[in-house]
Order: sequence, then structure tokens, then C-alpha cells
Amino acid sequence: MKEITSAAFLVVFGGTIMALARRIPLGVPTDPLGPRAFPLALGAGMALCGVLLAVATLAFRAQPGRAGLLADAGEDEEVEAGPFSPGRLIGAVVATAGYLAAFERLGYLLATPIYVAAIMLIHGGVRGRGLVIAPLATTVLLYAAFRYGLRIPIPDGILEGIIRW
Amino acid sequence: MNFLQSLLTGFATALQGWGLLVMVAGVAWGIIGGAIPGISGAVAMALALPYTFGMDAATALVMLAGVWAGANYGGSIPAILMRMPGTPGSAAALMDGYELTRQGHASKALGISLVCGTIGGLISIIVLIAMVVPLGNLVLAFGSPETFALALFGLTLIAGLSEKSFLKGLASGFFGLLLTTIGLDTLTGSIRFTFGRSELLSGVDIISIMIGLFAVSEMFWQIAHPRRVAMEPVSRAHTAFPTFAELRAVGRATFVGTIVGLIVGIMPGAGATASSFVAYNEARRWSKRPDLFGKGSMEGVAAPETANNAVQGGDLVPTLALGIPGSNSAAIMLAALILHGIVPGPFLLSKHPALVFTLFAGLILVNLLMIPVGIVILRGCLVALRLAPPALVASILAIIVVGTYAADLFILNPLLALIFGIVGYGMRVYGFSAAATVLGLVLGFLAESELRRSLLISLGSWTIFFTRPISAALMVLTFGVLVYPAVLHIRDRWRLRQTLAGTATGPAHK
Repeated sequence: MKEITSAAFLVVFGGTIMALARRIPLGVPTDPLGPRAFPLALGAGMALCGVLLAVATLAFRAQPGRAGLLADAGEDEEVEAGPFSPGRLIGAVVATAGYLAAFERLGYLLATPIYVAAIMLIHGGVRGRGLVIAPLATTVLLYAAFRYGLRIPIPDGILEGIIRW
Repeated sequence: MNFLQSLLTGFATALQGWGLLVMVAGVAWGIIGGAIPGISGAVAMALALPYTFGMDAATALVMLAGVWAGANYGGSIPAILMRMPGTPGSAAALMDGYELTRQGHASKALGISLVCGTIGGLISIIVLIAMVVPLGNLVLAFGSPETFALALFGLTLIAGLSEKSFLKGLASGFFGLLLTTIGLDTLTGSIRFTFGRSELLSGVDIISIMIGLFAVSEMFWQIAHPRRVAMEPVSRAHTAFPTFAELRAVGRATFVGTIVGLIVGIMPGAGATASSFVAYNEARRWSKRPDLFGKGSMEGVAAPETANNAVQGGDLVPTLALGIPGSNSAAIMLAALILHGIVPGPFLLSKHPALVFTLFAGLILVNLLMIPVGIVILRGCLVALRLAPPALVASILAIIVVGTYAADLFILNPLLALIFGIVGYGMRVYGFSAAATVLGLVLGFLAESELRRSLLISLGSWTIFFTRPISAALMVLTFGVLVYPAVLHIRDRWRLRQTLAGTATGPAHK
């Protein structure tokens, strides 16, 4: 199923790129290829990969006795790693997006410990003091490394003007 | 300036200012990062990239080379002590390394790994220096058609990077190439794929994309697929230096490992994992005591560890001489060049000889630093291995956000890292190759600009790529590299069909 989904995605994505590439101006007459050709060819290439992948998958499955030989990509990795938890993945993505949204507005010093604690909670298996010590230690160490070690200004957000280090 | 003078100047440049400290920091972070399962050498390098922003190009490259070399050894620490390879390249060493730990010789196994790895690394750097300079002189004859043909040849490495499906690997490479077309077209000034966002006019930040594809996706993977493995390292282990007699005993394996590592390293796409397993097998074949392999053989640790480290020098041959990265780690080295305003490619040596010679000197120094830093940092690795995975993953994600933000003090960079972290996760689930995308990213600009320049010169005639000898040879080579696996694939399918037909008709003949 993953192969067919991948093939369909490639066809749609490649087709979209081709459509978008057609809107790029042709360029100047002295440039025989122009700025449109390269992305157009790449879009076509991706769509073609999708078609070939679908054909290869369907042709292989159509032959009885051989379908079992076609393993879906990624399955072996899932055996090595733990079971997939979609809630954890979504939680991590949402928490990171929230962190980025708060990074400049709220400021690094307030947003980072909350984010690190949130990711630890989403990951699971940590309770008590660990949930306080690790976020605070990470925040302070990173702040010291960037602000004082590399002399890169990290956003203070709402603490701007309040803190004087 | 002659070769030796250039190299000596390289040593002086590498050691000036904070040079030595930066190298020590790079090697130390590489060893610790490599020791933490889930952080490969490439991920450790990607995480270190933002910290090189304030450095000059040479110092940044030397630091990254230190991270790379350090990670090769660091991965072996949990492999030997806990039967859990920190990096894929150290997987072969665990067979005998962990067996030695079980027999109470953990410190000796760590010592063999460190010393033989350093020997392999140093020899490979010497070979690198010997090969890059002549190759660098050859590319002086290159014009736009040759450079395009070379970039095209480099893109065929996608075949080697596509572990699961060639078609998916190819599509991944196309995706990487496509990303380089975002922004203002330098030849005509046309705007491509910016969707009205002025932030995208100068293109997308390659570093943020790389960090997203390699590091963020890995962290998301660890969160989504939590492993509950007890990580209890051997807390009293230290690094015991092998005696002269022990070094003599593993000499043959070290030699085999060096040769294998070099050859596999030069072959693009093969990498440290393949080299360490091939070296293990070859060392067993050439050993006087093959029966000891798998039961705690010192040679079984020495060969893969030497090969694992020797890959670095081999890998850097096409990277520095031709601008073609043969692995994820090499691609990050090239990305660091882009970050510092240097266009990687076949003209690197001729245009920036001082930089390349500083890197050579730095590579020798970081390999020498491996031994003292490796001994001192072992305790730190054991502490890192005891850290709870949630704290580690959360801290690394915070480091990524702050690091990518620090590049331009621009929130779009960590946002890109997040987006490509999700993309990288999806690619992993569906069997696409993030490494091929990175290869496309690194070679994309070169490929398109040189293709268009060549056609500009030839007034639109494609024969220009076949009428110039070097370009024609590279084109033929590219064609061969693409067709050869297809021929092998068809042959294998034909053989499989024959076998299945034989199995199906077999009972009827009885």
C-alpha cells in the first residue's frame, strides 16, 4: 500500500510542479534553456518516477506467488524501533510549532523550559524533578553558550528591558 | 608555494587563535554525539553546523571534520560496552567488542578501537592528500560542459544512496534539485516558486533543510517510536592502551581495515557501515585465527574500527577534488562551505588552496587528537548514555531551534527545519531517501547553472557535452553507472523467474 501511495503522491506532486513551472517566464533569448526548463523537467521526472513505481508495483503484485516478496518500505524499521504512536508525533510537531510561535514574542527564556518539559512529557517516561531540572538546565546552558559564548542575541521577548545580564 | 610549504601553512592556520580548542570541542562533541544511539555522525555534524557561523570557513571545516572523526569512534563505545551501536558504522565492531566486554576486557576493546581507528584515519588522510592534489590539477581543464557532466555524474550517486528503491531515490534527488530552484534565477532574474514571499527570493537555507531532514526527523522518529531499552553502561570501563605485542597481533586486521575503508570511502554512496562489515569479513578471511571471530577477537574489533575511520579520508577524495559528496557527512562538509560563501565544486582546490590545505592539516590534527580526547571524554560518554532519552531528545530539539535561528536571527530557518523534519519523517516512513535529497540540494545549483551556461556557449546545441573529451567521457560514465544496475536488476529478475518456474514445474517432473 505504501508503494501505491508513494506513486500517487509523486504523480500529483510532479504534476503540480509542472503546472507551477509553466507560469515561470521564459527568460531571455540568449539563454536557450531559460529558467522554466529545469524545474519543468524535474516535475516531469518525479511524475514519471511515480508512474513507473505504480506500474512496477502492480505488475509485481499481479504475478501470483511473488507478492510476498514485495515488502513495503519502512516496515523493517518499525520492527527495530518501538510501536508507532501517532499521538506522540502530532504532539511533538504541535509543541515545536508552538515553540517557534512563542520564541520571539514570549522570549527564549520563558518559551524554552516550557517546550523542553512539553517534549519530555510527550515522549513519556519522565516524572518529578527531572521535568524541572532538565528543561531549566538546557535553557540556561544554551542561553549561556549563545549569549556569552558566541555573542549571538537570543530574543528576550516580554522580558526585554526587564532582564539585565 | 610548494606542497610541503602549503601544508605547513595549513598547520599554522589550523592552530592559530582558538583553532586547537575548536578541534578539541569538535572531536569531543563527535565522540559524545556518536555514543548516543540515534545521533549518527551526520546528525552530530548537522547539530554542530550552527555553531560554526561565527568562525571562518577553514576553522568551521576543521571543527566539522573533528566531529565526523569523533563520531566514528564514539559510536563504538555503546557498541562495545552495551551491544548497542551508537552509529550504523560501529555495528560490526559490537560482535567481538561486546564479547570482549562480557569476558571482562571492555577497556582493552575500547583501546584497540581508539588506537586502530586513529591509525586508519591518519593513513586515509595521507592517501587523501596524495590523491586530491593531482585530481585537483586535472579539473583545471574543466569548463562549463565538463562541470555539468561532473555534476550529472555526481547525481548518479543517488543509485547508491537509494537503499530501498531506485525510483524513490531518484525522485528524492529530483526533490532536492527542485529545492535549489526556489528564489531568484541568477541568470535571468526570473522569480521561481516564491509564492509571493520576499523571504524566499534568496532561496531556501540549505543548512536548515539538512538539519530538518537528518536531525529533526530523527528526533520525531524517536518520539513516535519510543524504545524502552535499559541502557546500563559498564560504569567502570576506561581506555586501556594496547601493548606493542597486541598491536602487532592486530596489524594484519588494521591493514585490511584501512584498505577496505579507503576503497569503500572513495566509492560514493557506500559509506562507513558497508566498509566496517566488509572489513570484518575480509579480516576474518585473512586472519591466522578466524575461529576466534565472534568469540571476542581483538582483530574483530580492529578491522571494522579501522575501516570505519579510514572511510573519512576516502570519502573526502571525491568531495574535495570534484565537489561530489559521497556520504551524508561529506554533504554536510560541502554545505558548510556554502554557508561560508564558498561554492563547492571541482575548482575548490584551485580557487581556495589555503582552505583545502588547512583542512588537510586539520584532518591530521583531529585524528591525532582522537586519542587524548577519546580517553578523557569516555567518562562524559558514559554520563550521556545514562541520560534519559526524553531529556536528550527534548534538549536536542531546543538546540536545533536555537541553532538554526542564530544563523540569521530569522524564525524562518527553524520553521524550515521543522517543515523538513516532518518531510524527512514522511520520507523515512515511505522509503524515500533523505540523503539523495541532500545530494540534489548540494549539486542542484551547479548542475542547472553549468548546463545553461554550456548551452549558452554552444548556442543551444546539446552536442557540446559529447564533442569535448572529458565531458564526453563523464557522460559515458554516467550512462554506464545508470544502466549497469538496471542490467543487473533485469538479470536478477530473469534468474528469479527461472527459479520460480523451476520450483513450480519441479514436482511435475518427478
